[in-house]
Amino acid sequence: MELLIKNGYVVDPANGIDCEKLDIAVRGGKIVEEVSSSAKILDASNMLVMPGGVDIHSHIAGSKTNLARVLRPEDHFRDFERRTALTRSGVGHSVPSTYTTGYRYARMGYTTVIEPATPPLKARHTHDELNDTPIIDKACFPLFGNNWHVMEYLKNGDLELCAAYLSWMLRATKGYAIKIVNPGGVEAWHWGGNVVGLDSEVPHFGITPREIVRGLCKVNKMLKLPHAIHVHPNNLGKPGNYLTTIKTMECVKDLAEGASIHITHCQFTSFKGEDWSTLRSGAQEIARYVNRNDHVTIDMGQIIFTATTTMTGDGPFEYILHQISGRKWVNKDVEAETGAGVVPVVYKRRSFVNATQWAIGLELALLIEDPWKVYLTTDHPNGGPFTAYPRVVSWLMSKRARERTMSRMNQSAARKTILQSLEREYSFEEIAIVTRAGTAKALGLKAKGHLGVGADADISIYRINPKEIDPSRDYRAVRKALRRAAYTVKDGQIVVKDGEIKEVVQGRTFWIDSRVPKDLEEKIHRELSKSFREYYTVGMENYFIGEGELARSSPIYVGEAKV
Amino acid sequence: MNVENVIKGVVCPFCGCCCDDLEVTVRNNEIAKVENACALGRAKFERWNEGRIVRPSIRSDGKILETSFAKAVERSARILYDARYPLLWGWSCTSCEAQKIGVELAEEVGGVIDSTTSTCHGPSIIAVHDVGESSTTLGEVRHRADLVIYWGCNPLHAHPRHMSRYSVLSEGRFRKRRGERKMIVVDVRRTATAKIADEFIKIEPNSDYEALTALRMCLKGEELEQESIAGVPSKKFEELIDEMVGCQFGVIFFGLGLTMSAGKSRNVDAALSLVRDLNSKTKFVIVPMRGHFNVTGANEVFAWQTGYPFAVDLSQGYPRYNPGETSGVDIATRHDCDAALVVGSDPISNFPLEAARNLSSIPIICIDPHETATTSVSDTVIPSAIVGIEAEGTVYRMDGVPLLLRKLIDPPEGVSKDTEILEAILNEVRRIRGGR
Amino acid sequence: MTSILLRPRKLFKVPIEASAISPDNFAAARKVEEIKNQVVWEGNRPATLASIFDVEELEQGGELLEIIIEGDASKLRGVGKGMGSGTITVEGNAGIRLGEAMRGGTITVNGNVGSWLGSRMRGGRIEVSGDAGDYVGSAIRGSTRGMSGGQIVVRGSAGNEVGCWMRDGMIRIGGNVGQFAGVHMLGGTIVIEGSSRGRIGASMKGGRIVVLGEVGRVLPSFSIEEIRNVARVGEDRIPGPFYVFAGDLADDGDGRLYVSKDRNLELRFYESYIE
Repeated sequence: MELLIKNGYVVDPANGIDCEKLDIAVRGGKIVEEVSSSAKILDASNMLVMPGGVDIHSHIAGSKTNLARVLRPEDHFRDFERRTALTRSGVGHSVPSTYTTGYRYARMGYTTVIEPATPPLKARHTHDELNDTPIIDKACFPLFGNNWHVMEYLKNGDLELCAAYLSWMLRATKGYAIKIVNPGGVEAWHWGGNVVGLDSEVPHFGITPREIVRGLCKVNKMLKLPHAIHVHPNNLGKPGNYLTTIKTMECVKDLAEGASIHITHCQFTSFKGEDWSTLRSGAQEIARYVNRNDHVTIDMGQIIFTATTTMTGDGPFEYILHQISGRKWVNKDVEAETGAGVVPVVYKRRSFVNATQWAIGLELALLIEDPWKVYLTTDHPNGGPFTAYPRVVSWLMSKRARERTMSRMNQSAARKTILQSLEREYSFEEIAIVTRAGTAKALGLKAKGHLGVGADADISIYRINPKEIDPSRDYRAVRKALRRAAYTVKDGQIVVKDGEIKEVVQGRTFWIDSRVPKDLEEKIHRELSKSFREYYTVGMENYFIGEGELARSSPIYVGEAKV
Repeated sequence: MNVENVIKGVVCPFCGCCCDDLEVTVRNNEIAKVENACALGRAKFERWNEGRIVRPSIRSDGKILETSFAKAVERSARILYDARYPLLWGWSCTSCEAQKIGVELAEEVGGVIDSTTSTCHGPSIIAVHDVGESSTTLGEVRHRADLVIYWGCNPLHAHPRHMSRYSVLSEGRFRKRRGERKMIVVDVRRTATAKIADEFIKIEPNSDYEALTALRMCLKGEELEQESIAGVPSKKFEELIDEMVGCQFGVIFFGLGLTMSAGKSRNVDAALSLVRDLNSKTKFVIVPMRGHFNVTGANEVFAWQTGYPFAVDLSQGYPRYNPGETSGVDIATRHDCDAALVVGSDPISNFPLEAARNLSSIPIICIDPHETATTSVSDTVIPSAIVGIEAEGTVYRMDGVPLLLRKLIDPPEGVSKDTEILEAILNEVRRIRGGR
Repeated sequence: MTSILLRPRKLFKVPIEASAISPDNFAAARKVEEIKNQVVWEGNRPATLASIFDVEELEQGGELLEIIIEGDASKLRGVGKGMGSGTITVEGNAGIRLGEAMRGGTITVNGNVGSWLGSRMRGGRIEVSGDAGDYVGSAIRGSTRGMSGGQIVVRGSAGNEVGCWMRDGMIRIGGNVGQFAGVHMLGGTIVIEGSSRGRIGASMKGGRIVVLGEVGRVLPSFSIEEIRNVARVGEDRIPGPFYVFAGDLADDGDGRLYVSKDRNLELRFYESYIE
């Protein structure tokens, strides 16, 4: 099938194209140099053409997402979608069902989404749900920061064996990257405790979070994984935690060649102050560090003033949130590996704390000079549902939009934030970087996030003319256009037109087919075979997920590990 | 020629324990031997071929006539297509793959899909909506628990390997020996499990709520004004709370004693609240003892596909949920449904009398490997392969850990998998709809 | 006053989602023809009102709209959903979720009703001559917002969990109730003229429950406060004497149970605890 997208204003930052009127040719699901005269024409005159959105961090599938769905029937009651000839029915708001998730992302022009926190023992559940999430391509990040094997290998200095283990685990879980959540803290939580910083000792394991993060960073390099370690630091949600975040970024600086660490939903870990009443933004300090150091990337974790659901692998944090807010709480520990917690939340304009949080996310994005280092997320659904992304875009592009929201929020918080003084307004090119080009690059997804020849033909076309519109003034129009793509193209097929699903396709699931030298592979196999049932209540052969279990498996081979 | 094959790491398709260490010897397409299974699992494997249905049948003029697969599918599709409020029931004894087709079929025919959760741990889920749940996968209990309470359940009979694989008789990283753990049973009678417990607390029937409330009061340091509660001296509750607070890692396993005695979901509400409150003092978790091997899978599949874990009403084109209104037993009791599809379940035996009576008066399509009371009154019966023995599939253990069931032998000649049968019915319904 | 009469044309078998039957909805229609074309769900199929009811306009003109349903309406669900004004009268049994999310107006039933009567009610009045099911005035699953205004009067008996998660308003049951009346209650008043099957006020944090008959068991998480001669409910002064309990202490609650002293002699031992 050939497609020619004509006359659109193309924004393709990875290839240095910024609002140029260009034609995009598509054949066989890829972007090509040119197509024949029998190609289907899609007239994108006066419209904005970008690569399809790539969401680097969104909790859409797996055990804790489903725990949240079950916890919150009241979240789904008013927001539902009826079945149509093409689409399945479902429910939405903060914890949408899987079909609804896929459709809603596609309607906004997103074509790749990462599920960022997968407990390996239950990775099969994540893939089950991803298989049922239509249209978008996806990948998942298995959790390793509290894994018994990992902590033991690192404690014993067995870096090679740790690498071999990670390699096996990525294949066993069909995972894409190394995710670390509150390293050491969740193991402490399995006894009801927590850690308080990088140099706390994890009970019974004799290792510190610092050693876990550094060890996994080294392993990441050895395995040549395309994405840096993806880290949710210790002390998330605690006033004063910006220091922990900076120390976490600093602790792997010497291991850098290129990016070595990604700090996720950074807003939640950029708090200054001693307690909630003295809460301040630590965004300036974080931004200063990110500006001066090239081994770090972050994503925002922006909050929206709405009712939503928090869900993370940070079990102890969720318990604290439950205690503070009094809202219902689900906790699910996972043996020998990790955990999860879910607590509903309402972010209120008049709350000093929530208003400060709102400002922090935006300060981060506006103070970090290089848009290739900071990405747009709400840590869906923790900060707000992903359907609110267009709203975040409008805040980034328009000081007026920010002022309007600020005028309606807690004024004490408004006075204390430096947001008032920040004039910067993102351009379309910068938006494309923080929602597509930058995220794809950070993930190492070479065929995503750009419109060069050879890229996957994932394209979003929005009904706004970047040459005519002034996003600073007409931010509402920008928001409206981004909510419902004029066209979303997935692998060369038009799947959305005017915000309606026109075709349903099965997206790919990317995973890393990691390899280590044969003798190491055999050694780890022998070791695991002996000890597996000691650690887990399932056998090794049942833990391993076969490629056939993925509806559309797309392995990425990154070469043999350098051990 | 005797071709024998020993398959290891087989997942047992019986109860919610989903033990995954069975070793099954297969010879000449038959189950010859099974090792490591408990009596219940063993019986399922060894008697897999008893009472089998091998040919589809249709009831016509009060007579049961054997028929072809195609005709049975056609009849089933027609019944479901014509129905105005069909109930698609069962699902706990089949694979997730079959459950997914079930949801699609329910959406296609505009019916209600519900699993045996409604007759078992539905009240537990209803309580979670209000309170939440502090829980864990079973391995954590094995590694850490020094206080194990079985409340209103009898694992020795219903989940025989539970204690040896996951709790007091197992070996964990931090609990090597039996002596490092204490086992308490709370029940209305001295069950087999109670007999081997370190302590048995007998409570009066239908007073679990009072007992749990007394514990919550003691936890808060409030005085109990009554001398005995639920037939137990109040002092006992104070002692029990001291133990619970004093342990390093406590767990409550609970069953139908809570969910099906007076109070139902509020009993579970109280238990969940107690465990939640205990977390302010020590580490405490609670785990429901799910009965069927894939009832948890049905909750998971329905929840991610529709947003709701059971009792999902798709009659108006989108998912609606209100157990009590949209749950299978209640629908049958009120005679709301005008047709039923039953997959791997026997509601005619298990439902309350009025619900069973109403069900038997409407056309039922039953998909099952074995003859049951339900198949005997069904309009259409289609035999199916036994999941976990003759057909592969995904299941979810009671704690949400997903596992794969294997196909060990071929089903009897002409017998199809649930997924094939349901897919065929779905396609036939679409064909009828398209033809209009 | 415009008056519309609905008479079922047949015995309903499958549930009928009938939230279209509401005075606000009908009032928006200009002619009775439009009302006849209103759509309800008969099981999985949409049906016009006229196809399942005989629809008659009894009186014309005037602002207030009255709907009368004559016959067995027990399979009708969600009748009067969200209504803000007008009246609905059911001469017969009514179904599940009658008057849910109601804001104003009146519903009268001369018969029994199903469960979830007045769920999430915010205002208005419901009166039932017969019995009600479970969850009178409750919240939806997972929500903490039950009835928050208005009045529900059931002259017969009710089932379990009357006033579950109730925030405000008044529920009065003339007969008996099942278990867990007032469970998770946050405010408002429940008056039970008959007896309860126990566990009233479980997890309540606020509000009042008055029981004139036998209360069954009082939960161990309720503490006796005093004996009062009268319970004041709105304009009513209900004569006691009453044992007044505070609780639910297990949830740090500050609700009150008024339990008839004379009908609950087995509670006498509590008197020794009154300070």
